[in-house]
Amino acid sequence: MSMALEFRAVSVCHADGTRALDEVRFTVPAGQFCVVLGPSGAGKSTLLRTVNGLTPVTGGEVLVGGERVEVRTLNRLRRRMGMIHQNFGLSARATVATNMMAGAAASMPLWRTLTGIYTDADKAAACALIREVGLEEAHLARRAEQLSGGQQQRVGIARAFMPRVGQPGTSAQGPAVVLADEPVASLDPRAAEDIVTLLHRQARERGTTVLCSLHQLDLARRFADRIVALSAGRVVFDGTPAQLHAAEVVAIYHHGQTAPNVPTPDALSLGAAA
Amino acid sequence: MTGGTVATDPWRFPQPYGWRTLATLIAVLAVLLYSGKRAEIDRMTAMTVQAVLAPVGLAEKSRVADGLSHLARQMVPIQISDRQEVSRIEGFDPNRLPLFAHLETVRGHEEKLNPLTMKLESQPTESVWLVEPLGYVVHVAGKMLETLEIALWGTIVAVAIGLPLSLLSARTMRMPLAVRGVSNTVIALMRAVPELVSALFLVIAYGFGPIAGILALGLYGAGFLGKFYADDMENADPRPQEALVATGAGRLAVWRFAVLPQVMPQFIAYTLYILDRNMRMATVIGLVGAGGIGQELKGRYDLYEYGHVGTILIAIFLTVLLLDQGAARLRRAWL
Repeated sequence: MSMALEFRAVSVCHADGTRALDEVRFTVPAGQFCVVLGPSGAGKSTLLRTVNGLTPVTGGEVLVGGERVEVRTLNRLRRRMGMIHQNFGLSARATVATNMMAGAAASMPLWRTLTGIYTDADKAAACALIREVGLEEAHLARRAEQLSGGQQQRVGIARAFMPRVGQPGTSAQGPAVVLADEPVASLDPRAAEDIVTLLHRQARERGTTVLCSLHQLDLARRFADRIVALSAGRVVFDGTPAQLHAAEVVAIYHHGQTAPNVPTPDALSLGAAA
Repeated sequence: MTGGTVATDPWRFPQPYGWRTLATLIAVLAVLLYSGKRAEIDRMTAMTVQAVLAPVGLAEKSRVADGLSHLARQMVPIQISDRQEVSRIEGFDPNRLPLFAHLETVRGHEEKLNPLTMKLESQPTESVWLVEPLGYVVHVAGKMLETLEIALWGTIVAVAIGLPLSLLSARTMRMPLAVRGVSNTVIALMRAVPELVSALFLVIAYGFGPIAGILALGLYGAGFLGKFYADDMENADPRPQEALVATGAGRLAVWRFAVLPQVMPQFIAYTLYILDRNMRMATVIGLVGAGGIGQELKGRYDLYEYGHVGTILIAIFLTVLLLDQGAARLRRAWL
C-alpha cells in the first residue's frame, strides 16, 4: 500500500525571486523513513509541501507512487497522504474527537461532515488510534487546546494516520505517505523523543513512507533509514545515518550561507582550537 | 515641528504634540463651529438649558418643558381597561363573556327631532358595554409578543441568509472571484438600507403586518451578519485550515473542521447582538406599519389617545429591561 516519492529536479521560486528549492533530485523508496535535515530556511518545509501540492513547484516534478503531483491529481493524491505539522494544525477549540475525524474528512459524505454523525467504522478507527498514540479514549471528549504540546502532537499523528475508507486507493491501513514538517520543533527533548518514536513505530507497523524534517541530529541518527540534507535549497548530503559524520554536519549547517556575520567552518574550527 | 527634537536634546523620543496637531485641532474646531451653526446646536443648547432651569424657577418659561409636561399629563392615567359597545361586537354572546369581563349599561338622553311636532325632544337611550378591566393591558401584551416574534424570526431569516452569503464572500473560502464579488455587493446593499427604510417599501409590497417587519429586520441583519461572519472567518487561524486542505478535504469540510470551531463563539455573540438589536428595532419599524407594538403605538398616537400611548411606552420599557436582564444571564451561562 505504500508509495515511493520521487523528486525530479524540483525547483521552487517564490514570487519575490528567492529560490527556496534548486533542482532537488532524490527518490524515497516505498516504506522508507527518510529524514530531511538542514538549517532554518534551507527549504525543508518547502520540499515537504511540494509533495502534497501546498506549495506548487516552479520547475521539475514530484511523483508520488509514480503519479505526477499536479492540479488534476492533487486531491486524489492528498487523500492518500497524511501530514503532521510543527504547530500541530489542530482546531484548538474543537474536541480531540472532532480533530481526529477531520483526518478522515476527505472520505466522508458532506452531510456527515456537517452534522457530525460519523460512521461506526470511523469512530472505531479513531478510538483505536487514540490508544495507539498513547492517549486514552477519555481524551476524545476534551478540547485540543486543553492538552499539553506533546499530547497535541500525538493527536496530530493520530489524525494523520486516520484511515480514509471508501476512497479509491485508500485502505483501512491509513495513508500511504506521511509528511512530518518539523513535528517536534516546539516540544521539549523528552516529548520530542517520544513523538518521533511513536511516528516511527506507526509508520513501521503500516509500512508507510515517511518524509520527516527534523532539527535534532540525535533523533535523525536513531530513527532514519536515510538522511537527506538541504542547504540553501540544494541537496548537500544524501546517505544513511552511519555516513553522517561531524564534517558533514558542519557542511550542512554552515555551507552555502554567504552572509558575512555567519561563521564559516574555518572560523568555527579556529574557535574550537582557541 | 513634528519631530520636535534637536540634536542636542537628550530626550530622543518624538514629541507627542507639534504644530501639526495644533493646526488640525484648529481646523476641526472651525468645521465644528460652522456645522454646529447649521445644525442649530446653539438653539438646542439654549432650549435644553431653559427646560432644565424652568421647573426649578430659574428660567421664566420653557416651550420644551411645557410641551413635555403637557404630553406627560395626558398620558396619566394610563389606559388599562378596554370598553366596547356590545352592539358593535359581531356574534356577541352575553352568556359567554371573556375572563374577568362584565357588562355595563349606560343610560343617557338623546335629543331627537320628532317628525310629527318638528321639535327636538329628549329621549332616554340605553347602551350595553362590554368592559374588560385588564383588556388593554392584555391587548398590548399580545402586541408585545408579536414584536418579539418579529425580532426572533427576523434574526432567523438574517442567519439563514447571512451565513451562506458569508461563506461565499469570505476570502479564505476561495470561491471564484465573480461569486465573491456578487455576494459582497449583496451584503453591502443589504447593510446599506436601514430597516426603517426597507420596512417602508416592504409594507407596500406585503401589506401591513409582521411579514414586512420580519423581512426588513432579516435583510439588514443578513447584511450585518454576512459581513461580520466573513470577516471573522478570514481572520481565523490558517494553520488548521491548511492541515485540512493537505488531507484533500473539500471547502465545506475545511470550514466545518478548521474554521467553524474557531469562530463559533464570535458567531454566537454576533447573532445575539442582532437578536438584541432586532428586539428594539421591531418596535421602531412598527411605526411604518410593519406590525407589532410600534404599529399600535403609531395608531394610538395619531388618534391622540395618549393614555393608550402611556401604557404602550411602559410596556416597551419593561420589556427592554427584562430582555437586558435575560440576555446578560444568557451570556454569563453560555459564553
